[in-house]
Amino acid sequence: MATLKEILTRRPVAATIRLTVPAGGARPAPPVGPALGQYRLNLMAFCKDFNARTQKYKAETPMAVTITAFKDNTFEFTVKSPSVTWYLKKAAGIESGSSRPGHVEASTISLKHVYEIAKVKQSDPFCAYMSLESISKSIIGTANSMGIQVKKDLD
Amino acid sequence: MSPVLCCFRNHIFKHLACTNSLVRREFSLTKLLSVKAVPLSTCTNASLTSPFLSVHIQCRKDFADMLSEALLCFGASSTSIDEQDSHVQNEEICISSIYDISKDVRKSILHAADSIGLKDLPTYKIVKGYHSDWIKDIQDSFHPVEVTKGLWIVPEWRTPLDLQATNIILNPGLAFGTGDHPTTKLCLLLLHEIIKGKESFLDYGTGSGILAIAALKFGADFAVGIDIDPQAITAARHNATLNNIGPDILQLYLVPSEEINSPSENNSTGFEGQGSYEPEASFDEIVKYDIVVANILLYPLLNLADQIVSFAKPGAMVALSGIITEQLPRITGRYSEFLEDITVSKMDDWACVSGKKRRI
Repeated sequence: MATLKEILTRRPVAATIRLTVPAGGARPAPPVGPALGQYRLNLMAFCKDFNARTQKYKAETPMAVTITAFKDNTFEFTVKSPSVTWYLKKAAGIESGSSRPGHVEASTISLKHVYEIAKVKQSDPFCAYMSLESISKSIIGTANSMGIQVKKDLD
Repeated sequence: MSPVLCCFRNHIFKHLACTNSLVRREFSLTKLLSVKAVPLSTCTNASLTSPFLSVHIQCRKDFADMLSEALLCFGASSTSIDEQDSHVQNEEICISSIYDISKDVRKSILHAADSIGLKDLPTYKIVKGYHSDWIKDIQDSFHPVEVTKGLWIVPEWRTPLDLQATNIILNPGLAFGTGDHPTTKLCLLLLHEIIKGKESFLDYGTGSGILAIAALKFGADFAVGIDIDPQAITAARHNATLNNIGPDILQLYLVPSEEINSPSENNSTGFEGQGSYEPEASFDEIVKYDIVVANILLYPLLNLADQIVSFAKPGAMVALSGIITEQLPRITGRYSEFLEDITVSKMDDWACVSGKKRRI
């Protein structure tokens, strides 16, 4: 339950924006430009801030960013580890998902891969409260949608 | 449409036609770190003149966050959800998503919905969006900024508020350096304080050229700005003209990002078809400066420390910024072997480190 003070000083939120930006590589061009520009957020400030804060990640890793835009055109953002599909593609060693998931298999990964990805995801601020099991289930769901089969062990 | 707006728009479109290659090029700096660059699947091939797809998807409120995340995994460039005023639980809300013009939107939504367990394809509507709209919105958000008493940064399309003050007229285009970022302000304040007149100045990573122009306005004799981004050099040249600063006192060079020390026969390697930038004289690495400022990012500052400091005369002032306060120890640690009398200034969560180059 938020305190009265928090409620009174809470800024009104205009929107929640999600996008993927390469670490250290934010520029005032697509995808950042159109997504933030429509809410009149300060693109330069976001790019500079994002680039400085993602210096600790390997350059150009696609980071998932969630931006909370406030009605007064200010914003806050949180950076999360890359999307599950990116990890799955890396684990499966493929460039893109299957063209017909469920029918044509793109590749296979093992449960160990799923577990490793789940561990990284659990360190995200949004997933911290979820159990490894539920995160893993969600990862397996995404893998299936991409046409990646999850095997218990890889030979 | 005002001629100024037209000019700005042309300026951007002309120089951003190859945004794609620009992004890849800039980060070949990472080769210094021996890091394998990941192909940028999110980087668009569309230039800013082609439209993009703005897709509005209807979805139940309690699934909206999950669907947004899934959409990003399956091809959307970005998603946004406007904040709802009511708190009805099962209400349908709209997710606005942006896609490249070349993407198969239906397939993406299908996969995304499927991956979170939705049985039916959500209803959606596709509208064409144009980059000029958001570019205009950004322009509208630039206002004159008073950095300190008597020093203003004024966008090209606005009139200065105080004609007696030092006004730096800027059109940042899409290069870094609009004047309102804390690091730019910290550097400007430092320059304002230390420039007495007649100094030579190097702006390492010049962006829009704002620091070089400011240095000249404060009394420096001449300034050189270098950057690895051709867009920055073009923006800086334009800004120099806006402030009546000619190439005799402000020289701007595009430098290759891998090794600035290697003499380059052709400064624009890798940028065929730029059209707007012709390589002239190359940057002379032998010249040393009275003041060197590098307002960039942590890793380039750490990796290029030797080079950055090598451009300073012994006893010259070197200033580094573009770092957040938690990154300070690494910078001061790295540069303490080169600089003495190190001082740190801070604004919000940003810092600027300055010191004098040690006389060996």
